[in-house]
Amino acid sequence: MWQQLRNRFGVPLTMAIISLMGIWLIVMVLLPQWQMIDYSFHPSLLPAERGGVKDVWSLTNYATFFNNDIHLAIFFKTIWSSVLVTGLTFIVSYPLAYYLAKVATPSQAALCLLLLIIPFWINEILRTFAWYIIFAFRGPLNELLLALGWIDRPIRFLNGDTGVLVGMVYAYILFMVFPLYNAIESLDANQIRAARDLGAGWGRTHRRIVIPHAKPGIATGCIMTFMLAAGSYAVPSLLGSPGSRWFTQIIYNWFFEGGDWNQGAAYAFLLLVLCIVFVTLIMRVFKVGLGDIAK
Amino acid sequence: MDGRVSLSQVAMRFGDFTAIQPTSLEIESGEFFSFLGPSGCGKTTLLNMISGFLTPSEGSVAIGGTDMTRVPVNRRPTAMIFQNLALFPLMSVYQNIEFGLEVRGIDRQQRRQRADELLELVALTGSGDKPVVELSGGQKQRIAIARALAVEPRVLLLDEPLSALDLKLRQHMRIELKAIQRKTGITFIYITHDQGEALTMSDRVAVMSEGRIQQVADPMTLYRQPQTDFVANFVGENNRFPGRVTAMDGELATLDVGLPTALTGRSTTPLEPGDEATLYIRPEQWRVGRADDQRLPLSGVIQTEHFEGAWLTLEIALDQGPTIRAHVPYMAGGADIEAPLVVGNACRLDYSPRQAFVLADAGRESMNEEVADVAATA
Repeated sequence: MWQQLRNRFGVPLTMAIISLMGIWLIVMVLLPQWQMIDYSFHPSLLPAERGGVKDVWSLTNYATFFNNDIHLAIFFKTIWSSVLVTGLTFIVSYPLAYYLAKVATPSQAALCLLLLIIPFWINEILRTFAWYIIFAFRGPLNELLLALGWIDRPIRFLNGDTGVLVGMVYAYILFMVFPLYNAIESLDANQIRAARDLGAGWGRTHRRIVIPHAKPGIATGCIMTFMLAAGSYAVPSLLGSPGSRWFTQIIYNWFFEGGDWNQGAAYAFLLLVLCIVFVTLIMRVFKVGLGDIAK
Repeated sequence: MDGRVSLSQVAMRFGDFTAIQPTSLEIESGEFFSFLGPSGCGKTTLLNMISGFLTPSEGSVAIGGTDMTRVPVNRRPTAMIFQNLALFPLMSVYQNIEFGLEVRGIDRQQRRQRADELLELVALTGSGDKPVVELSGGQKQRIAIARALAVEPRVLLLDEPLSALDLKLRQHMRIELKAIQRKTGITFIYITHDQGEALTMSDRVAVMSEGRIQQVADPMTLYRQPQTDFVANFVGENNRFPGRVTAMDGELATLDVGLPTALTGRSTTPLEPGDEATLYIRPEQWRVGRADDQRLPLSGVIQTEHFEGAWLTLEIALDQGPTIRAHVPYMAGGADIEAPLVVGNACRLDYSPRQAFVLADAGRESMNEEVADVAATA
């Protein structure tokens, strides 16, 4: 890499690029992470006590987590719900991505992409709040369903997980659609035609031809959606109910309500570990490497 | 197995653009049939209507006597070999060949047996477990053939499958395709812009231009008796002499084409003196001789000379006439011709009127620049 960069930019510029990259990586990523991990293995102390006898390495913060049934439950529920969000987002995005990549004419695809992107010019809180209004007890959705006669009395959408799930699928749909679109788009249309010509129905054509080809895109989309969902704070706090608390909310509480950064750091580190485990798992399941995803 | 294909008045329109004019055609069961034409002539559209990728705007398609116009592509008794072959790159050779059988619910053992038979047919026994990406161009070609034959189609559709191969391999695959067609007895419908492929392999050829079939005939007839100006120029090379009929003698028509000498050629349709017509002489029909050989009626000056191995291609500017192309057999030592055929030398020429043909000029307006270009590059 050094050789290539030097040939292209010359020594001084290459040095500048590499040191900027290094500084960014060390100062913005590695050091803060290290600080967090260091925090998580220390007890929460008053400033005066830091560096004193009580300032020792300990696993207390982690023990707190594993001894708290409610936090454990929320942790696993966050995992499960994020998987659910990822799955739902995939189910919604796949037909859309296939349509955009292989069925729509260029102008239809452009229009469709525009319609998808425009809402994302508004910030996430406002977009999520729109769903808060739609899902309200006397909100437009309930009014519509009542008017259609499909329900007798308004439903409390925001009480259970419905609000959070729908809100997240909506919030992260682009992060699934684009990798899928890119992957499906690169599939030679004749592959699909050949499968059809050999007698395959649409189901089999997708299962055997399109999905295997799109695997790296599916993996990328799933990883992104899962990470965003697991790390989401705005959607569960706006659309969630006390019964659908997200693990990020617990972390937030430790930091800013409880003022216990060390405890919060331990929880945040656990979430990080969870995400890394998930990414590794998905890459194993889809048999893709980091290189495929970077594409 | 009835592999007849009948097109009755099929037409295809995309918006205002007519890709296929209403066309009727019968292709016999077991025939090797080619559609030949320049790109954009509608031959691929026609193929897609037979395979089911397109539904004709009008008319109907029948295969083996059964109407297929509304039958979806996956239920038709056809199989296609794509221009880029479209092998499934993530699958092995076996998986590719067995795909169509798997779709039909045939069990594993039978599938494998059938795949092995087909690998033997295409002379690739033992390479079933290889990933297709590791195969060479010619091997991929054969796997594509095996994959298509696996579903036992009544009609095999081939969309310029040889165009990506190099010349030697292409010529070899022509022979092999023809042999496979004979062995299996399946109707082959072949699409190509390469007249060499169409003429060498086909039982019959349909020459197409601008969404219309110009002529359907066996290769020999197509070459010897073109029925339209387009066919005369597209299939093989021709020297055109547009003119006016001055006399008819049986099937021989004499034309005034603006040269000092009137030219005579065969006409399959009756012509009247005064009719506008065009006389065609193929480059290999010319006899080129010395400038002082008075037995040869035409005279000219050699403009260019290309050595092509078995023959010389000469461009000769006729005196008071156009420049023509002539193929002269090349013999070291020049046994036939004493005068050297070199650029700048005068020469005299003749041709045999029985080998020249005349077409009435009904279609002269269709002789546009595109056709002239094609003829020039043929």
